[in-house]
Amino acid sequence: MKLRLQITKESGIRFISHLEYQATLEKAIRRAKLPVAYSQGYNPHMKFSLASALGVGITSDCEFVEIELEEDMELKPAMAQLSKALPMGIHIKNGDMVEKKAPKLMASAAGAEYLILVPCQGNPLDGIHSFNVAEEVIFAKPIPKGRGKTKEIDVKKFIPVVAGKYENNLLELKFSCKITLTGSMKASELLLVLRDQFQVPLVYEAADIRRIALYGLNDLGHKRPLLNTQQ
Amino acid sequence: MHKDLPIDILNSVEKPERYTGMEFGSIIKTPEETQVSVCLAFPDTYEVGMSYLGFKILYAVLNAAEGIAAERAYAPWMDMEEKMRERKIPLSSMETSRNLSDFSLVGFTLQYELSYSNIINMLDLGNITVLTKDRGEEEPFVMVGGPCVFNCEPLADFIDFAMIGDGEDIIVEVAQAYKKWQQEGKPGGRKGFLNRVVQIQGIYVPSFYTVTYYPDGKIQEVKPNNPLAPKLILKRVVKDLNTVDYPTHPVVPYGTAVHDRIMLELFRGCSRGCRFCNAGIIYRPVRERRKDVLEKLARELVDNTGYDEISLFSLSTADYSCLQELVKDLLDQYKEERIGISLPSLRIDSFSVNLAQEVQTVRKSGLTFAPEAGSQRMRDVINKGVTKEDLMHAVEAAFKNGWSGVKLYFMIGLPGETDEDIVEIVNLAKSVQYKYKQVTGHGGARVTVSVSNFVPKPYTPFQWVGQNSKAEFDRKHMLLKNNINVKNINYQYHDSTTSLIEGVFARGDRRCGKALYLAWQRGARFDGWSEGFSFDRWEKAFEEAGLDMSFYNARVRDKDEVFPWEHVSPGVERSFLWREFEKSQRAELTHDCRRSTCTGCGICQNLDMKIIDWKDSAK
Repeated sequence: MKLRLQITKESGIRFISHLEYQATLEKAIRRAKLPVAYSQGYNPHMKFSLASALGVGITSDCEFVEIELEEDMELKPAMAQLSKALPMGIHIKNGDMVEKKAPKLMASAAGAEYLILVPCQGNPLDGIHSFNVAEEVIFAKPIPKGRGKTKEIDVKKFIPVVAGKYENNLLELKFSCKITLTGSMKASELLLVLRDQFQVPLVYEAADIRRIALYGLNDLGHKRPLLNTQQ
Repeated sequence: MHKDLPIDILNSVEKPERYTGMEFGSIIKTPEETQVSVCLAFPDTYEVGMSYLGFKILYAVLNAAEGIAAERAYAPWMDMEEKMRERKIPLSSMETSRNLSDFSLVGFTLQYELSYSNIINMLDLGNITVLTKDRGEEEPFVMVGGPCVFNCEPLADFIDFAMIGDGEDIIVEVAQAYKKWQQEGKPGGRKGFLNRVVQIQGIYVPSFYTVTYYPDGKIQEVKPNNPLAPKLILKRVVKDLNTVDYPTHPVVPYGTAVHDRIMLELFRGCSRGCRFCNAGIIYRPVRERRKDVLEKLARELVDNTGYDEISLFSLSTADYSCLQELVKDLLDQYKEERIGISLPSLRIDSFSVNLAQEVQTVRKSGLTFAPEAGSQRMRDVINKGVTKEDLMHAVEAAFKNGWSGVKLYFMIGLPGETDEDIVEIVNLAKSVQYKYKQVTGHGGARVTVSVSNFVPKPYTPFQWVGQNSKAEFDRKHMLLKNNINVKNINYQYHDSTTSLIEGVFARGDRRCGKALYLAWQRGARFDGWSEGFSFDRWEKAFEEAGLDMSFYNARVRDKDEVFPWEHVSPGVERSFLWREFEKSQRAELTHDCRRSTCTGCGICQNLDMKIIDWKDSAK
């Protein structure tokens, strides 16, 4: 069996890294005494995985974790046990129990939705409009561990449109970002694009970024939730 | 998270996760539950502070008491400090973001002399008046504890009082005394409270003592100026560790502590009697926990923390009487749960190596041994009690068990050291390499020689000796470097200037506080880190304070000189330390009293205690 959970990374712990978040969950799973499976070999590791790495500084309502269990267990007690073992800053929002051979959650993640609140030193809406009507927006995306090397991507392929609201010097942005087999984009990278290419006068360092959904696509290409769905 | 730290600051500093808090196991009491608030302030980064067992213990005992809330604070790194000062954000606690100045009591641990500048800086960042004499009625009391309290004179200008010795009982007594004083309407003001705590055994109030000096700068006398202050403050001790509470629900950090594992304290104290070692005196006598107690604690710790490693912690773990049985039991018990056991330090013998082999089923990470000196004569001078043969047996066992590298720790600048003794360090490392060839038939052992600079410490037989000068340390490092002319010996050494400042404060008196204050004003902080330390700054500060550093670190003391620290005592007899010093000059050994006759240090007698060792119960 695989226990799959939708959990949060709340504002207070937003600056812990993905690895630390993962290590924290591992300790919580031990504390909860879930009958978790381990890999074989000299250095056995706990069989659990997170669906999509979240950047440092970003909060999330939709982290997905998959935990492989050695023994069958009811969903409710499993969730209750883990819930008690989690630190402040991580809560369980939803869960399901699936067959061990069900495809990995990560494989079905097709996109993420973000909500950003960022202070602006001037009206940003013209810039956002220009972004929305542009055919193509090229961004030099840094290659991970590429020592400063970049790769040119078309932002619009990942984020076709951005909804913006501006009030009291605070800009609220809402958008979907596609996750494809060849990669995705970070929400913070969109902010750089808006600031540097579309003259949106936002204060990049002060952006409050929140991932509000991670979704899959059904056969018709419509968004569907990742949990509690037929495999 | 610190509620006052905005996103843009956290986005622009190194390692922002340090400032997170909200860990599993952290205790947040409501204002109604908090009559006395105690801030356990660690004068270094979060990662270092969270690895410290002492604060885990104090956090637990304080929070277990009704009406007392203990919270934690750490030194912000320099980039964060800059932002905090820029925006006037005061230093606050991890738990409730309470400003340091709003606590009843703020307690710092003195782990290391080079963290003193951070203490002053944290007081200032926390809006607490830095100098004790200027502190206002409503401000917190600043207290200290930890190993360096056995000479906290350099901090006399900045602290209200010190807690000497084992902290688990005394800190609760202090907090209770505060509660009572507060309930009664704070009679007598600050002085009124100090008059009360000074009557708790083990409390030292520096302002209650007057120090007079001879014209040559040496101390004439340290005398109480308050009838309530004792002439001699003896340390507090827990007589039996089996009966005190141990923190079985520690705070579990989000994976950022230096030592991120269960720390199971097997025993306190060490009686091997190495003559350079301050810990070997101040934590005496040896008090072991019973094996069954340890196993019960281990179970609770595993269940409550979720860690996958138990570190068997003490000053010299291999000396625990039931170690073999304990390790076997723990390995058996936790194999299924995939929980490993680790030994933080190894004794130089094959018993330790074989034990390391038993616990380490996975990776062959390096083994570390500390012969401390290269020549047999020098090792006898420091009473290390280890021979070259012991080391050869130990590394032979290691190489036979598949290790291909060892790290060897040494000190230079020891009393009576000659250049031949230094060169022997290299010869010893080469012998280890040769042993590898003998065992495996081929060369290529990785030997790391790590060399630190000897700092004479108070309450050791070497408290009378002078420290080497910078020129002498540097010359000796060059001598070593030039003699290591073979491949695969990696030479690591410590900067001599930090050791010299450590040497000043280790045996400094309260006049050094002036230099400390000036250095802090000139920007001293994080002196234990190369990013923070500046020798030049310290030289200027001492000069401006009209003090000569060599008076404190390099000067040889007379037999009968009055030391600045002797009114605060771990219970050791001065005559014992002097006798040990004389024996060191004749390179004579003193045996370990743990399972043999008393060697006469006086601590058991002065504290009415006895060694607790379970050797016989092991069988």
